[in-house]
Amino acid sequence: MASVKIRNVEKNYGSLRVIHGVSIDVEDHEFVVLVGPSGCGKSTLLRMIAGLETISGGDIMIGDKVVNDIAPRDRDIAMVFQNYALYPHMSIFDNMGFSLKLRKRPRSEIEEKVMEAADILNLKPYLERSPGQLSGGQRQRVAMGRALVRDARVFLFDEPLSNLDAKLRVVMRTEIKALHQRLQTTSVYVTHDQIEAMTMADRIVVMNAGRVEQVGAPLELYDSPANLFVAGFLGSPSMNFIKGRFRRAGDGAHVLCDDGTVLPVPATSGATDDQQVVAGIRPEHLRLAGEGAGVAATVDVVEPTGANIELFVELAGERVCAVFRERHPFRPGEKIALGWELDKIHLFDASSGHRI
Amino acid sequence: MPSKLKKSLIYWAFLSPLVVVILFPFAVMLVTAVRPRDELFVYPPRWGFSEFRWDNFAEMWVKTNFGEALFNSLYVSVLSTVLALVLSIPAAYALSRYPFPGKGAYRTFLLMTQMMSPIVLVLGLFRLMVALGMVGNLNSLVLTYAAFNMAFTIWMLQSYFSTIPRDLEEAAWIDGASHLNSLIRIFLPLAVPAMAVTAIFSFINGWNEFVLALTMIRSSDDFTLPVQIYSQVAGRYQVEWHHVMAGTVLATVPVAIVFSWLQKYLIRGMALGAVK
Repeated sequence: MASVKIRNVEKNYGSLRVIHGVSIDVEDHEFVVLVGPSGCGKSTLLRMIAGLETISGGDIMIGDKVVNDIAPRDRDIAMVFQNYALYPHMSIFDNMGFSLKLRKRPRSEIEEKVMEAADILNLKPYLERSPGQLSGGQRQRVAMGRALVRDARVFLFDEPLSNLDAKLRVVMRTEIKALHQRLQTTSVYVTHDQIEAMTMADRIVVMNAGRVEQVGAPLELYDSPANLFVAGFLGSPSMNFIKGRFRRAGDGAHVLCDDGTVLPVPATSGATDDQQVVAGIRPEHLRLAGEGAGVAATVDVVEPTGANIELFVELAGERVCAVFRERHPFRPGEKIALGWELDKIHLFDASSGHRI
Repeated sequence: MPSKLKKSLIYWAFLSPLVVVILFPFAVMLVTAVRPRDELFVYPPRWGFSEFRWDNFAEMWVKTNFGEALFNSLYVSVLSTVLALVLSIPAAYALSRYPFPGKGAYRTFLLMTQMMSPIVLVLGLFRLMVALGMVGNLNSLVLTYAAFNMAFTIWMLQSYFSTIPRDLEEAAWIDGASHLNSLIRIFLPLAVPAMAVTAIFSFINGWNEFVLALTMIRSSDDFTLPVQIYSQVAGRYQVEWHHVMAGTVLATVPVAIVFSWLQKYLIRGMALGAVK
């Protein structure tokens, strides 16, 4: 096992720069998730770690060695591809044992290692089949198994769950996490799914447009996002944003919206008076305010999910989502008042998007 | 009558003229090939015959030196196919996998060569072979057939290669395979269907080719089948039509059967890449 260090890595396609000086440290045994919208460069970065893309600038180190000019086969990494990339003309056994066969390991060792991996992944009954005869979830496990037999220093995952149906995805997510807890192999996992990122990662790297927006533990990013992008990207339903001007009044402070709505915010904020800000609040932090308190809102759409009620309301001219565990009988058009704990409010500078 | 049956009957009625046009020469060929010699030119012509003579084939084999011509045809077709494939596979791989300057122009060039009839080039090719001292040598045909087929084989293979996911090779590299190793163990086994179909097509092209063979080959010992059969007809006082037809049956029918069987693969191969 080994750490991975990414130092000011850049990637250009001709004059087009798709990765702008990214630096990330992945510690030994750590599970790091690269997350971001499509086209943010996360897969390209992963492929650069794998050696499948050239590096235009900066260094990538696996262990203590710069691997920029080392071929993928000499990097001692294992990778799980989005479409699994199983060799269709080989049996499952041969698929999993291919890497060992290439290394000219004795047959007995190959068998032992493949059986061990097949045991972990419940693939023993399928070893003689071909990939075409397996279901999506089984193929996914074979792809994992192919990585496992390697004892590679680093595991790379390129959106491995996105071809599975929703239910299986949740199951496999847990399996991969359990596997990592057991094997402790340094892993870099790419996904566009923020729930996968939140649930699996030791640390998340949020990327956008070829840059790192924020790096940190899942809850750290969730609770104190560094900017509007991270705040909006993590969490589902995503954080509500309301624009306005920051005002101090006496001991308190508020954000004055364009339509005159007053949103109470913490006075401890570093915002200056009259600064254009965006107030962010997560749906689950909104609650029904008592008589004569809170901010007025009009119910727009009610979406019960069973566990929760997701309520879309109009508040200060914006559509705002609130999540309630209690089963209030909301009706569209109903006037309600919403309140929140002051410390749950996030304030961002409206022009730079940075957290204040 | 069920409407489905009615429909197919109507379709077949429309298709029947075409079927007749295609099958008529074969029918004439077959009945002439098995007729006794003195029933060749009866008037009015009729389809029937008094005796089914397999002996025509045996006589023809000896008299027309069919065996040698068959061997020459096989030699030229097989070697030109192998040569075309060996050279096309790397070219097609490069076209499907690597960006390089002039790629688009190269592909257009390949396509344009297909729009030219070989006969336009016959004189030039003949002079080339004279310069190489290869006139009258079967290998001159191997070279030219391979060259003419390559545009098609590269095009075909390239479109199939592009449908093989790149991830498979990348996975092999990460598993520890060299480029060559991943090509041999992963890529080429997956490309076998395309290579087989392309090979058959190239083989049939060589098998049927006439103009170049007539131009390049001097000695009747080196004639390929089409030229050999032609030599039984052209410039003779007496044409042994039953032998000629027996020869054409042997030269065309097996190939026609194989071709019609492979046609669906061929069309599938062509459609790939076009739609993707």
